[in-house]
Amino acid sequence: MPTSRRSPLLRLEVNDHVYELHAEVGTTLAEALRDDLALTGTKVACAEGHCGSCTVLVDGVPTLSCITLVHSVADAKVTTIEGLRDHQMVHAFVREDALQCGFCTPGQIVSAVALVGATPKPSTDEIRHAMAGNLCRCGAYPKIEEAIRTWQD
Amino acid sequence: MPLLRSGIVRAETLVDIRGVVPRGIDGASIGAGTTLAELECAPQIPDVLREACRLAASPQLRNMGSLGGNLLQSTRCWYWRLKWPCRLHGGDECFAHEGEHREHAIFENGFCASAHPSDVAAALVALDATLHTNRRELPVSDLYHLPRADDRRTTTLEPGELLLSVELPPAERSVYLKAMERKLWAFPLVGVAAARTGGVTRVALAGVAPVPFLLQGSLEDATPLPRNAYKVDVARALVKRALAALEEST
Repeated sequence: MPTSRRSPLLRLEVNDHVYELHAEVGTTLAEALRDDLALTGTKVACAEGHCGSCTVLVDGVPTLSCITLVHSVADAKVTTIEGLRDHQMVHAFVREDALQCGFCTPGQIVSAVALVGATPKPSTDEIRHAMAGNLCRCGAYPKIEEAIRTWQD
Repeated sequence: MPLLRSGIVRAETLVDIRGVVPRGIDGASIGAGTTLAELECAPQIPDVLREACRLAASPQLRNMGSLGGNLLQSTRCWYWRLKWPCRLHGGDECFAHEGEHREHAIFENGFCASAHPSDVAAALVALDATLHTNRRELPVSDLYHLPRADDRRTTTLEPGELLLSVELPPAERSVYLKAMERKLWAFPLVGVAAARTGGVTRVALAGVAPVPFLLQGSLEDATPLPRNAYKVDVARALVKRALAALEEST
């Protein structure tokens, strides 16, 4: 493998695992997660920070991985949908059937997990405010809201 | 990032400036690296700025976006974003004049009809805040430059100049109102920031001119394009409501 164009080794902590990868400067976190680490649960739809489908947690804070440079999170803890597979919020989405095509669902769940982490019993207004950055073209919003409202049931 | 990806901005080198741009609130001084999410829940920040931050973008973007970055954001003009050879790109035509201009400027729109999208900038212009860069101190309104034939920049920031902090003068009462295409997470069709200090009220608007617009004359002086005159009505209503809100609170 040619070494001349290889970028320095980058250390990335995702879902409590430490990965090492070579990433060109300019690589987004979403590209690194999906293409280098094969964590394809994170979805990319608009790829320009509008739709929220690529949302991950960076140090617990909902962040758009499609417009975050991977080198800027080298010192942070990243959590993706794969790291939340045992979270009750996932079961709440299944129970309430809070999706149709499912493409936005990983991002929806990541945002919802951050919301209930800070506010375990969010009001409707709090849910709508916190979830405003996750678009669902199928229009599953009422059930998404219901899943978040009843996530502890 | 999207501007880099679309090729509107080109860079040989990317520099992480988080190490040199202050982040956080220290009395009346706000570091340019402070996120909108941090500002929107800080009780000591004037209402107009908190509300402008809260309404500025999606939760994720407010978590990521900094005060300085928001002030320096580019227009949403679709012709500019799609790289049409418009006047902002050095060309000799503003395609919005004859084309689609529903979301475009209603003031100062003769040369370029792009609308400035920053809610936060309107709030800071209404507050008459002062910016500190690594080279100078300036009123927020002096950061912006109305593009014209011999100088098409929209800001006065020089190469190598960095926004470092914003100094807020005291405001007795202030308010931000915003009309959007949908209820949350959209750029302003019209944003109205109003702040009152010592009997003086300043009103600044987002989304109505190529730069944040300090209202000094009358809204009736607007020069809307054929299909965006509705913005004058929206601005009139929001200014009226904003001024009433300032009155109510006395």
